[in-house]
Amino acid sequence: MTTFKYILRDMWRLTINHWVLGLLTLITAGVMFWILGITTLFSLNMENLLSRLESELVVQAYLVKDNTLNVEEIAAKIQSLEYVHAMKIYSPSDSLAKLQEKMGSQSKALDMIGDNPIPYNFEIHVNAASDVEPLVSELKTMPEIEDIVYAGLVVKRINALSQISSRAALAMFILSVIITALVVYNTIHISLYSRRDEIGIMYLVGATRSYIATPFVLEGTLLALLGALAAGGGIIAVYIPAVRLIHENMPFLSSSLLSDNAVIWRFCALLAGFGATLGWVCSYLVVARFINAITRPE
Amino acid sequence: MNISFSGVSKIFEPDIAALVDVNFNIEQGEFVYVIGQTGSGKSTLLRLITRELMPSKGVVAVGGFDLRRMRSADVPYYRRDVGLVAQDFRLISSLTVYENVAFVMEAMSVPKKIVEERAKDVINQVGLWRRRNFKPAQLSGGEQQRVAIARALANSPSLFIADEPTGNLDFHTSAEVMKILFAINAAGVTVVMSTHNQNIVNSARQRVLELESGKLIRDEKGGGY
Repeated sequence: MTTFKYILRDMWRLTINHWVLGLLTLITAGVMFWILGITTLFSLNMENLLSRLESELVVQAYLVKDNTLNVEEIAAKIQSLEYVHAMKIYSPSDSLAKLQEKMGSQSKALDMIGDNPIPYNFEIHVNAASDVEPLVSELKTMPEIEDIVYAGLVVKRINALSQISSRAALAMFILSVIITALVVYNTIHISLYSRRDEIGIMYLVGATRSYIATPFVLEGTLLALLGALAAGGGIIAVYIPAVRLIHENMPFLSSSLLSDNAVIWRFCALLAGFGATLGWVCSYLVVARFINAITRPE
Repeated sequence: MNISFSGVSKIFEPDIAALVDVNFNIEQGEFVYVIGQTGSGKSTLLRLITRELMPSKGVVAVGGFDLRRMRSADVPYYRRDVGLVAQDFRLISSLTVYENVAFVMEAMSVPKKIVEERAKDVINQVGLWRRRNFKPAQLSGGEQQRVAIARALANSPSLFIADEPTGNLDFHTSAEVMKILFAINAAGVTVVMSTHNQNIVNSARQRVLELESGKLIRDEKGGGY
């Protein structure tokens, strides 16, 4: 406990002695963690939105008009395909009723057609947008299927958007982590370098390496933690009002957004934990390397 | 604490022999001067004792323990038993006199109350208590050297290494520092001191180890410069 008090005091001295550098680190780390947090939230929301769109993607397969076909058997064959998430069978009469319902007051026009022209058909839901194309290819090989209707272009766009958004989020995440890590690393390195004589003296008069190193590691951890906390505050200040605004102006999007305040607070707590860990790892690496180099006997 | 050098050589890269086949034993409680011209190997010899350097050949043993076999994690604990005073004082410039002295005890997790008592005691011994809140830059060279001595005394070491402690001091201040070192030795502490100062060596005769070009050319009890 006594040692810990001395170490805390030394950490405080270090932070105060290099307050300008510390402040700059804190601001940079804060901005980077903010970008990291916002990017992650954007990516999570994008994923929610895309999976909602994907769950609404439907492939409609129409059978040839042939009374001898065993519909149940064909349905089982399609159901066994790996891309199929769920499937519904529509009989000609079900399909007609559905169409009439859709047309509303204009449904009387259908009476003019006479016999029901709609064959048995399947409404197939896929697991992901990327499953649509291979599913359609498989269906095309089946002679019992006459026609396939699906939103091909939409599928392609969703697929592309999904890939771009995850890649951009990953790149942003890696970039933010690298920049923050470098900033913390350099700050602690400068702090160590400016005190290299002092560190040499401390070691010479009997201070252990851990006693010398701990205040520096704590300083780096504290700066990164404060940066992450500030970023968390910034995220709450920007994200919650933004979600409220979207909810008011684009209600069709709001169900796909992370809008539970408790989740956002937990996300910010996680970001703070991540910040502290990153600060600790970077400081530990630079301190261990530096102290090893200057305390090694020649 | 006794010191023994057996066949010790120290070669610095690429091929500079700082010490060549040095052999001697120093018993607990002895006062030893290490003399010789600049570059003769005096500082190298002392830095081998503090384990700032490792011998290229031979064995340096302190308290019967071969320093080369010491784990690096144990070095700080060894150094707490070795008081060190250098010509350039090696004080921490951002700390006050009191903090410089207290620091070595704090690094050993000594409780604050004991640190305060012990620091007051050793700073009083060197006559600087009234300047305890001064930073090193606010003190004269002699005063800074006394702070370094107080710091070296704080952990009650059994070995005291002084590398030209009077090198930067005038005659009067040097005499004061020597008075303190003899008092430390009188308490049973082994003192090994390197010096250029002929007056000091000749006026208070002790054992002398003389080095020339890294070789021990004289080991004489009660010898002069």
